Amino acid sequence: MLSFSSYFSVQYIFIFFPVVLVLYAVFPQKIRRIVLLLASFSFFWAVSGKLIIFMLLSIIGIHHAGLWISSLQKDCAHILETAQKGEKKQIKAYYQKKQRSAAAFCVAIHIGILLVLKYTPFFSVNINTLLEALNLPQVRIPAFALPIGISFYTMQAVSYIFDVYRQKISADRNMMRLALFMSFFPQLMEGPICRYNETAHRLWEAPKLQFHNFSLGMQRILFGVMKKVVIADRLNLFIKTVFTGYADYHGLTIAVAAVCYTIQLYMDFSGTMDLVIGTAQIFGIRLPENFRRPFFSKTISEFWQRWHITLGAWFKDYIFYPLSMSKPLKKLSSRARRRVGNHFGPLAAGSIALFCVWIANGLWHGAGWHYIFFGMYHFALILAGNIIEPAAARLTKFLHIRRTHFLWRCFQIVRTAILVCIGELFFRAHGLRAGLAMFKKIITDFSLDSQNIQSLFSLGMDKHDFLIAAIGVLIIFVISLLQENRIAVREQIARRGLIIRFSVCYALIMFIIIFGAYGTGYVPVDPIYATF
Amino acid sequence: MSVYIKRFVCMIVFAAGLIGILTASSFVFAPKNNMPQFGMEEVSANGILGERENSIDVLVLGDSEAYSSISPMQIFKDTGFTSYVCATAGQPLDYTVVMLHRAFEKQSPKIVILETDAIYRKISAKNAVISRLSAYFSIFRYHDRWKKLSWNDFKGTSNFTWTDDFKGYKYNAKVDGCTKTDHMQPTKTAAEIPARNIKYVKEIKEFCDANGAKLVFLSTPSTVNWNYPRHNGIEALASDLGCEYVDLNLMNDKVGIDWGKDTRDKGDHLNHAGAVKVTAFLSRYLKEKDLFTDHRQDNAFATWQRALKNYEAAVK
Amino acid sequence: MNKLIEILEDIQPGIDYTTCTDLIDGRRISSLSIISLVVELEDAFDITIPAVEIIPANFNSAQSLWQMIVRLQEEG
Repeated sequence: MLSFSSYFSVQYIFIFFPVVLVLYAVFPQKIRRIVLLLASFSFFWAVSGKLIIFMLLSIIGIHHAGLWISSLQKDCAHILETAQKGEKKQIKAYYQKKQRSAAAFCVAIHIGILLVLKYTPFFSVNINTLLEALNLPQVRIPAFALPIGISFYTMQAVSYIFDVYRQKISADRNMMRLALFMSFFPQLMEGPICRYNETAHRLWEAPKLQFHNFSLGMQRILFGVMKKVVIADRLNLFIKTVFTGYADYHGLTIAVAAVCYTIQLYMDFSGTMDLVIGTAQIFGIRLPENFRRPFFSKTISEFWQRWHITLGAWFKDYIFYPLSMSKPLKKLSSRARRRVGNHFGPLAAGSIALFCVWIANGLWHGAGWHYIFFGMYHFALILAGNIIEPAAARLTKFLHIRRTHFLWRCFQIVRTAILVCIGELFFRAHGLRAGLAMFKKIITDFSLDSQNIQSLFSLGMDKHDFLIAAIGVLIIFVISLLQENRIAVREQIARRGLIIRFSVCYALIMFIIIFGAYGTGYVPVDPIYATF
Repeated sequence: MSVYIKRFVCMIVFAAGLIGILTASSFVFAPKNNMPQFGMEEVSANGILGERENSIDVLVLGDSEAYSSISPMQIFKDTGFTSYVCATAGQPLDYTVVMLHRAFEKQSPKIVILETDAIYRKISAKNAVISRLSAYFSIFRYHDRWKKLSWNDFKGTSNFTWTDDFKGYKYNAKVDGCTKTDHMQPTKTAAEIPARNIKYVKEIKEFCDANGAKLVFLSTPSTVNWNYPRHNGIEALASDLGCEYVDLNLMNDKVGIDWGKDTRDKGDHLNHAGAVKVTAFLSRYLKEKDLFTDHRQDNAFATWQRALKNYEAAVK
Repeated sequence: MNKLIEILEDIQPGIDYTTCTDLIDGRRISSLSIISLVVELEDAFDITIPAVEIIPANFNSAQSLWQMIVRLQEEG
């Protein structure tokens, strides 16, 4: 029986995926979609076993709720056709209310299951702390096994319900199609979080395999494996040592570890995304991109439009705009705008909505105060960025700094990267207290003397390891720079002659085999985002 | 159709090129000698690579239980038979297979003893695949040597010259006794052996059969690692495969382990005193087989006599 | 249409709204400006812009904004 814990496990790459691909290739189109669906369910089963029941419930739930809402919409339209003019508004409001309760009911169940499974331990620990303070008896702390990818597919389910409710899409009668949309195996574990109108119908079409897609997809998978196996897994040795025993290390070591962790997280997650999107491309399916070279961002808010894009977009579409466009906040905006002007006017309403987004974002990553802190940190940075923007604009003008100047842009990019690294330090730390202690050390216990620098190489990674990680990062940087200048690297390679194409592939494969952090002396690292 | 043929040819060429590169790089990355400074792993077990051709009578495979309880030098002293313990700490069966193949490259032992603790060890799927791959392309095992490559690795050929004076046995005289001696409570239940592991044991058995060696399962004394359900599991497997099975945990009248003195870590592993007792039993056992000749007077085994002197000086 | 351009220039000056077609995709206007814009448009044209309409396709250019406004006015 297959069992694996990541897309990088040998069983997935060498057994599961090839078998699915061959089956997909040999069957006619009508059966191909079933192959995909069965493969997705077996994948879920291999990772989470019986917990697949939660996924099935979710599918049945959104299928039913979607049809329910759409039948209400149809009834409403039907009655409106024959209704008197005066009654129309009333009828509309009546049906609106009914639809809203239907949607709210279904969404509440989904969010409820997620909350119970994922956050019960967190809430009960905090309740216990409170009870202890009040000298009351403690509650028992239940722990639940989480079905794989529940944080991701729940988001998809909720977006489907909202989209049906808003009549952006029509409800799907075909439960199998919905099931495939929810469970498509490459995106099951770590996203990207797709929308129904982006992938559902294309998946159900089960397009024919094409050689062009195959070779481009394989290249992308190799590239992802390189990011993960060569860079992320190697850095893990060092990061684990420092974050576990942070009390023993200097500020310099901790700062380096924070930067390394930020790199690891990026390589791990974006590498997985390369593998996922590459896999989907082989099947002829275009999944939305999740990263757009985030470390070229000039501000934090831009960073979040380029890092985990589908999550940010979800929060924007289903929390930020609905909230800031709700009646009370709209009124607030329009009044404030008249009083304090264009820039600060919408800020009040915007920041209330933004606050909710970041609480949700922090909690989505996990149940822990340091995740909430992480959310609040980014909320504060984005808010502060908006507040000081007019002052900053005046200051740069006063100092005759051209904001489009290359050096100014570099300054912004570096500043943003440093702020991000600080955030990730708290994100990775074992709890909020450890995070704060580590941050304090960076400030108070920081020196660049050679002994401190030497000691970096004795914490799980030697000079060679750092060198190869740096080379890996450099390669990624160059490729990113090309892409940033709108050069499609993979397509460019695909256009070259056979010898160049082969050489690139060979180089990549050998780079992974030789410099990969696998085999004796390395513990396999579970993908970071799959646990969120 | 021609497009398909072209693509097919392309893929074949690509695969051939890849195999070529892997072979070449495997040549570069393989250790050029079996010593640690050449990048060899598990040096004492791999010391067998430096033994003279066809000079080993008995091969022992297994994990730390095996190298803590069997001393080939004592067997040589008692009987004149040569043996080698190719055991490594926490040995998974996929590495057991690797050791088996390596040993048989130059040796043809008549008896292969497999210590049974390794049979129950879970094998990680990833490592199993890497082991398989590295049987063809050793780069998968030695890729991490990029840190220490020298020019010699690019031009030299492998020449294994080193061997272990203890022949794989790891001497440890520490005493940390235990009081629990009732680890063999009779029962009918059998501990389940993972399916993947059974496949590996079958493979070992087939390999031994094909190479004219007799496979013997041996459970060395351990109160921590051994119990009756495990005994039953191995017993069933042994009769299934038609192997001989010797469980020393049930034969303490013949071995005479004193758990208060003969263990170095409260019954987990034997110490030297325990190993002497197990080895003495093994010497008698091998003699009874009447398969081997006494090499003690044979000049070809002069190196063994020298090793014996070093060994005796060290364990005194 | 002129009224729309006026509103846009009032909210965020410095962009040629008659020709720009990547207001959202080019990250030229921020999400806060979008909030202002929606509020203003609703007041000025007596429409309600539901959240589902806030997509790049509608907000990328003055032209597409105008089409949305006309459509919403017709739907009433």
